[in-house]
Amino acid sequence: MADARDPHEDILLAPIEHTGPGFYWAVAFLSLLILWGTVAYWVQFTEGLGVTGLHQPVGWGFYVTNFVFFIGISHAGTLISAILRLSKAEWRRPITRMAEVITCMVIFIGAGQILVDLGRPDRMMNVIYYGRYQSPLLWDATSISAYLTASLTYLYLPMIPDIAILRDRSEKRKLLYSVLALGWSGTERQHKVLNRAIAIMAVLVIPIAVSVHSVVSFVFSMTLQPSWHSTIFGPYFVVGAIFSGIAGLILTMIIFRKAYKLQYYLKPIHFRYLGQLLLIMALLWFYFTFAEYLTGYYGAEPEEMKVFWAKFTGPFWPFFWTMVLCNFVIPLVCLASLKAHTVGKVMIASVAIVVGMWLERFIIVVPTLSFPRLPFPEGVYWPTWVEWGETAGSFGLFALFYLLFTKFFPIISIWEIREGRETSVKEVEERIRSYLPGDAQEKA
Amino acid sequence: MTNAPSDRLVRTLQWVWLGAAFLLVGGIIVWIVGLIRAAWTLDDFLSASVGISIVAIPIFLVFMGVVFYVFWGVAVHGRSGED
Amino acid sequence: MALWGMVIDLDRCTGCQACVMACKAENNVPAVGVKEAKRERVISWMQVLTETDEEHHGTKMRFIPRPCLQCDDPPCTKVCPVYATFRNPEGIVGQIYERCIGCRFCMAACPYNAKYFNWHTYQKEGPGQNPDVSVREKGVVEKCTFCHHRLQKARERALAEKRQFDPAEYVTACTEACPAQAIVFGDLSDAASEVSRLARSPRAFRLQEELGTKPKVIYLTEGEESG
Repeated sequence: MADARDPHEDILLAPIEHTGPGFYWAVAFLSLLILWGTVAYWVQFTEGLGVTGLHQPVGWGFYVTNFVFFIGISHAGTLISAILRLSKAEWRRPITRMAEVITCMVIFIGAGQILVDLGRPDRMMNVIYYGRYQSPLLWDATSISAYLTASLTYLYLPMIPDIAILRDRSEKRKLLYSVLALGWSGTERQHKVLNRAIAIMAVLVIPIAVSVHSVVSFVFSMTLQPSWHSTIFGPYFVVGAIFSGIAGLILTMIIFRKAYKLQYYLKPIHFRYLGQLLLIMALLWFYFTFAEYLTGYYGAEPEEMKVFWAKFTGPFWPFFWTMVLCNFVIPLVCLASLKAHTVGKVMIASVAIVVGMWLERFIIVVPTLSFPRLPFPEGVYWPTWVEWGETAGSFGLFALFYLLFTKFFPIISIWEIREGRETSVKEVEERIRSYLPGDAQEKA
Repeated sequence: MTNAPSDRLVRTLQWVWLGAAFLLVGGIIVWIVGLIRAAWTLDDFLSASVGISIVAIPIFLVFMGVVFYVFWGVAVHGRSGED
Repeated sequence: MALWGMVIDLDRCTGCQACVMACKAENNVPAVGVKEAKRERVISWMQVLTETDEEHHGTKMRFIPRPCLQCDDPPCTKVCPVYATFRNPEGIVGQIYERCIGCRFCMAACPYNAKYFNWHTYQKEGPGQNPDVSVREKGVVEKCTFCHHRLQKARERALAEKRQFDPAEYVTACTEACPAQAIVFGDLSDAASEVSRLARSPRAFRLQEELGTKPKVIYLTEGEESG
């Protein structure tokens, strides 16, 4: 079959076939972060959650923030991959696998945050044995299980033809590739089966992804606390997730574009389109945030206003206004015109958004807990080295998983690029022709 | 190639791979049904359990279906059309 | 079926915190130590909240003893993922330490902040503790249980003595300890009991009633004399 070696594709298989010193430096650095996280968690496991900065009444802090944040990043894969695939956007071809891998890896890290947050992690199986479906945490467990299963399937299926290429071409790990390739030989029938399965998964993954971040938001909005008990939370969190997900994806693309010399595949046009999507999400995010705070302010309920002013001018004002700067001002300035310096602008915007969206989760979780309804003494939440370490370790673990993936499988879908080159150009031409007013010979 | 794994080993492992997928998804479905039973026994908001399972279980069944479909169409039938 | 409830007369409460101390002694509530107390981790099943009003800032205080309000529609039981907190048929919201996974969702959901967490293992089992109440390890949530162990003991005593159980035999530690007799405890489902009578008083109000939690700790507001 067509293993006609396109010299350009060698670059896609290079990371699997050769390992340079950069890889080992990266692994060493990430391992340090993970070590910090591991030590931090060990201390917490043996001594209790008291080693964190949490206290009465702020029972949730960094870990729950990280949970929401990482699950939010996971929406990168769904949007890019599924929606662009269904809308037949051809520019998605080099991006889809990167996005799907992010989703799969980051869900583990996100779900792991909840386990880290438990006071009795040795009893985590209680959720399985004795779960109550009235609790939003069980909705989370079910939804995230569904999303993980769907994402893994949705990552694996389009990988099959590429694994077949590796099976035929690579000398090492032949058993692994042979098993996973499922005997793929590129026949027309196999292509039909695969494309149909991918299409079904693409349609299924989107509502599951929407449900995932909605139920994450329901953990907060199903309580009666001021600033949490809001109907906007479901859509707000989904929009925020897609927003942070695209930013995360762009950063991943930029890093690997540099590291694996993928400039031929990840061109400025891809960053430009993603940048435009990012701009739209920034405006959408701002709209939801504005609606949420305007409603609270206008109603002026005393308990809502306590939390409101805490965010605007009170102890949380640095985090709140940095969030607005990072999520709205910087993206708007950077992304308004993407004709020149596309990659640079998009990178600055994405870094700002990743920081800003983390702050947004923090601003949702902590101020409400800090200002309870009844007259308690005010407490201020300061995270300790344990929480910083756990956060660093989580990022490190995610990055390491991702890096290891790129060493086993191509990070850009080889067969989809080939498909784009060989068949899609004509397909798109025919499609556009079908939109235009026809001549007499054209069928109705 | 001398280090090519035997066809039989590969096929066995592929069936194991499929079995693992079925176990994962099947396990999740069994779990959800178990939670419905618990809620019924304890008379604790059965509506929530039933409502969620009505949505969740069909979704997981579709996953199983897709995985099986791909396995059948690519691995099993694909072989017969192999050159 | 009994429905256990409490009435606290704010006019009688002097803020002496005898109820707090009695509760801690009765229920093996750990003393967390100075360092932990500075980090705002004091566990106080019964807590006396203080409120000053805007007009008389600093000169007039209002003391509100706040146990777990044992809601009839508890926001905490709704969100517990593992049946560790639940409402029993007699209206007491229980806490099963052995089941609790320490997710602290119930703490986040309680609008009265009546639930506390063991951030460390603050104490081991030892002499000087109440043997009727378990000693909690790190990582679990705890709260006021209306001294449920006393109810069990009273019922068992009645059974052993082959007689009917009299609701008056069951009082919580805080009720017993209050020197001003500001706390009245009893069966709200018995219309003739003192607690029911006081609950119908025109001075009666519930904290955050508009939230719909249906708390069974009812407060009597201060009379005109203290105005």
